Amino acid sequence: MSYVIDAQGLTKRYKRTIAVDNIDLQIPSGRIVGLIGPNGAGKTSALKAILGLATYEGNLSVLGKSPASDRAALMEEVCFIADVAVLPRWIRVWQLIELTESIHPKFSREKCLQYLSSTKVTLDHRVKQLSKGMVAQLHLAIVMSIDVKLLVLDEPTLGLDILFRKQFYTNLLNDYFDEERTILITTHQVEEIEHILSDLIFIQDGKIALNSTMDDVQQNYVELMVAPDQAAAARELQPMNERELFGRHIFLFENANRQQLKELGEVRTPSVADLFVAIMSGGES
Amino acid sequence: MNRLMALVKREFWENKGAFRTTPLVIGGIFLAAMVMFLITFNHFDNEFQSLKELLRFIAQTDVEMRSKILSAIHIEMSVIFSTVLAFVVFFYLLGSLYDDRKDRSILFWKSLPASDTLTIASKLLSAMIVAPVIFWIIYVLTHIVIMALFSVVVMILGENPWTLFLSLSNPFESWGLVLMSYFAQSIWALPLYGWLMLVSAFSPRIPLLFAILPPVVLGVLELWVDFLKTFTLNENLFGLFGHWFANSPLIMSGDDHGENDFGPALGIPITSDFDHEVTVSNMLDRIFSTDMLIGLAIAAVFLGAALWLRRRATES
Repeated sequence: MSYVIDAQGLTKRYKRTIAVDNIDLQIPSGRIVGLIGPNGAGKTSALKAILGLATYEGNLSVLGKSPASDRAALMEEVCFIADVAVLPRWIRVWQLIELTESIHPKFSREKCLQYLSSTKVTLDHRVKQLSKGMVAQLHLAIVMSIDVKLLVLDEPTLGLDILFRKQFYTNLLNDYFDEERTILITTHQVEEIEHILSDLIFIQDGKIALNSTMDDVQQNYVELMVAPDQAAAARELQPMNERELFGRHIFLFENANRQQLKELGEVRTPSVADLFVAIMSGGES
Repeated sequence: MNRLMALVKREFWENKGAFRTTPLVIGGIFLAAMVMFLITFNHFDNEFQSLKELLRFIAQTDVEMRSKILSAIHIEMSVIFSTVLAFVVFFYLLGSLYDDRKDRSILFWKSLPASDTLTIASKLLSAMIVAPVIFWIIYVLTHIVIMALFSVVVMILGENPWTLFLSLSNPFESWGLVLMSYFAQSIWALPLYGWLMLVSAFSPRIPLLFAILPPVVLGVLELWVDFLKTFTLNENLFGLFGHWFANSPLIMSGDDHGENDFGPALGIPITSDFDHEVTVSNMLDRIFSTDMLIGLAIAAVFLGAALWLRRRATES
C-alpha cells in the first residue's frame, strides 16, 4: 500500500545540531496524526522537510513526490498553515481569494465564501484589520476550500483564545475531514486535539519516542490512582512514571495487567498530556 | 501562464502605491503647476496681456525650430516620470524577496503551488514591464490633459492652438520613443535588477546597505587602481558604474548638437561609447552591444543566485 508520507532515514542537520535524527515514518491516508514534542525536538524541521521548505538527508516521499525537488507540484496536493500569522498583512480578503483561485487548481470559491459567511470576515477587509482569531478563520476557510489529500497544521491555533481554538478543530473535523484525507498537526495544546487524533507520534531530540494509533495507546497504557498506603505496592509493578495529586499517587503503566491494577485503586486511560510527560521524562529507554 | 499573471497581479496589488499612486501624483503636480502658472499670470497681468503678447511672438517664430522645441518638451516631460520610476523600481526590487521573509508571509506564498522560479519571474516582470507601462500611461495622459488645457487657454486668448503648436509635433512619436526607452532601460538595467534581487534574497536586514556598499567599495577601488596606474583622475573618473549610467538608453538629459539644434539625450552625453541622440536605433545599439552581453551574463548569475537563496529562504 502506498503511504501519504513515507520517510526513511530522514535526517535534518543544522550547522551544529541534528534536528531530525534518522527517522522512519509511514503515514497512511485517512488519519489525523498528532506530532507532539517539546520545543526544539525537531517537529518543525520534520514538517519543513515534508513540505519542501527545507533540505534534508534520507528518503522522503510525500504523495509519491519528492518535496525537495517538487515543491510547487506537491503544493497542489498539500496544504499547510504554518502558524496563525503568516497571511500577508497588506492583502484584502477578495484579493486573497482571487489569487488562490487562479493559482490553486483545486480551490472552490463557493466553499470558501460559504465558510466565511459564518464569520465576521468580509471580502473588503485587509488582513491587517482582522483580529488574530479572524485571520485564523480566514486561513482555515481558504485551506478547507482546497481539495487536497494532505493538510499540515503547525501550531495553527497559537495565541488564539479558547473559543476560536474549539471552533477551529470542530470545523476541521465536521466540514473537512474524511477517509480520503490526512491531517498532520503539531501543537502544544495537546488536550484540545487528543479527541480528534487517530494517531499519535511523540518526537524527542530528533527521534521518534512513540508512534502508535490512539486505539493502541488506550490499550497499552493505563493510569492507576491509589491512596498513599497502596503506593509502595503499585511501585512494585514497575510503573513508567509516578506523580502526586491531592495526596493521591498516580502511576502510569505500559502493558500492565489491568485486573491486578484494579485491586490497588482506580484505573483509567491516561491523557495524552500525561503520557507525553511520562514518556519524555522516561528518557531514551 | 495563468499563475504567472496571477502572481504579477499580486505584485501590483501589493505595490499599488508605488506603481500607480506615485505617477498619478506626478501628473497631478504637473497640472497643479500649470494652473498655478495661469493664476500667477492672471494675478500680475491685466487680462493676460503679456501672455497674449508672448503667444503672438511665438506664433511668428520659425516653424521648424518651434517644432523641434516642442518635440523636445514632449520628451523632456517624461524625465521626471522616468527618474521617479527608477527610484520606485529600485526600492521595489530591493524589497521584493526581503519583505515577505521579514513578516514571515513567505510561508503562505510557499504554500501555493507556484514555483520559486515563477515567483522571481513575476517580480522581475513587474519591475521591467508593469511599473514602466503604468508610469508611461500616466505620463501620456498627463501630457494629453496639459495639451488640451493649454489649447483651451490659447483659444480663449485668441490664437489658433492647431497652427501654434498642435500641428507642429507628433506626440505619438515622442510617446513611442519614451516607451521604447523604458523597455530598453529595463534590459540595460538587468545587471542592477539582478543585483537588487540577490541582495533582497540574502540580506538579513537593511537591504539598502547591502545593495549600495559593495558597488561603492568597488567604484572607489577602481578609481584608486586607475589613479595608481595613470597618476591622474581624468582618465576614467566615472569608472564602470559611471559608464553604465551615462550610457543608459533612458532619456535622462539634454544635449546640444550645435546651433539651434538641441534636444533630449539618451543617458548623459559625456561618454563616446554610444550615440546619445534619442533614436530607436541608438537604443538598439546599446541592447545589442557586447557590453550588454556581459551585463546579461552578470544578471543571469545574480538572478540564479537569488533563485537559489529563495529556495532556501525557509530553511531556518
